[in-house]
Amino acid sequence: MMLIPCPFCGKRNESEFIFGGPVGADRPDPNAASDAEWVEYLTVVPNPLGPVQERWWHARGCGEWVTIWRDTRTHDIVRAPDGPK
Amino acid sequence: MSYDVQIDRLGRVAVFDLKGTADAVGAWVKDILPAFPVRPNTRTEKNGVALCYIGRNHWLLRAARDAEERLEQRLKPTNCPADISIVRVSDTLTFFHVTGPDAADVMAIACPLDLHETVFPPDAVTYSEFFGLKALVTRCEGGFECAVEQSFGDMVADYLARATA
Repeated sequence: MMLIPCPFCGKRNESEFIFGGPVGADRPDPNAASDAEWVEYLTVVPNPLGPVQERWWHARGCGEWVTIWRDTRTHDIVRAPDGPK
Repeated sequence: MSYDVQIDRLGRVAVFDLKGTADAVGAWVKDILPAFPVRPNTRTEKNGVALCYIGRNHWLLRAARDAEERLEQRLKPTNCPADISIVRVSDTLTFFHVTGPDAADVMAIACPLDLHETVFPPDAVTYSEFFGLKALVTRCEGGFECAVEQSFGDMVADYLARATA
């Protein structure tokens, strides 16, 4: 069980939330990106072994969208890792 | 195992959904509203009307059934400014009271919230889960009150009967 921190409600059970998917890369400039970069942006979903940034919707709560970092090895909610995101 | 609780299904309750900033909503209907709650997931009451702070810029106004028409006339939902929303939602919710010495034990079956009084005080109100359904949970005299979408009312009544049998 995960306790997800909602900015309005505080920590709540994961069952109150709906998974909104990982946060993807920023949209590249289509005029400047190569075909490979564009295909990667469109099709490759972040799936690291370790911290991943995710969106969760507090659907059975206040309705807020929450962005968290979750460690895929432990399911711990962690701080954003250093370096580029 | 049976529990020492009483389950009551309430009749219709007047509920209005208010959206917009506190300033904007207050400017439209401040004379009939209690003071706006400051802390998230709490409520204030005045003259039998409760104002529940259940989301960012989102409130529920709750009163007895016989106050519904009077409130509707004062709130004027169809004439409100474009930056706020007022919708009568009385007929979308079914309310249950779970009261008695074992009310907290029954709630622990149905709801993932920590409902201890130090965490969930008497003025607390929040949306959460009740048997997996989105539900408005608050305290009432001697126990807890839960409101679920009205079409699930019979199902939740059955769940409660089975959980407490």
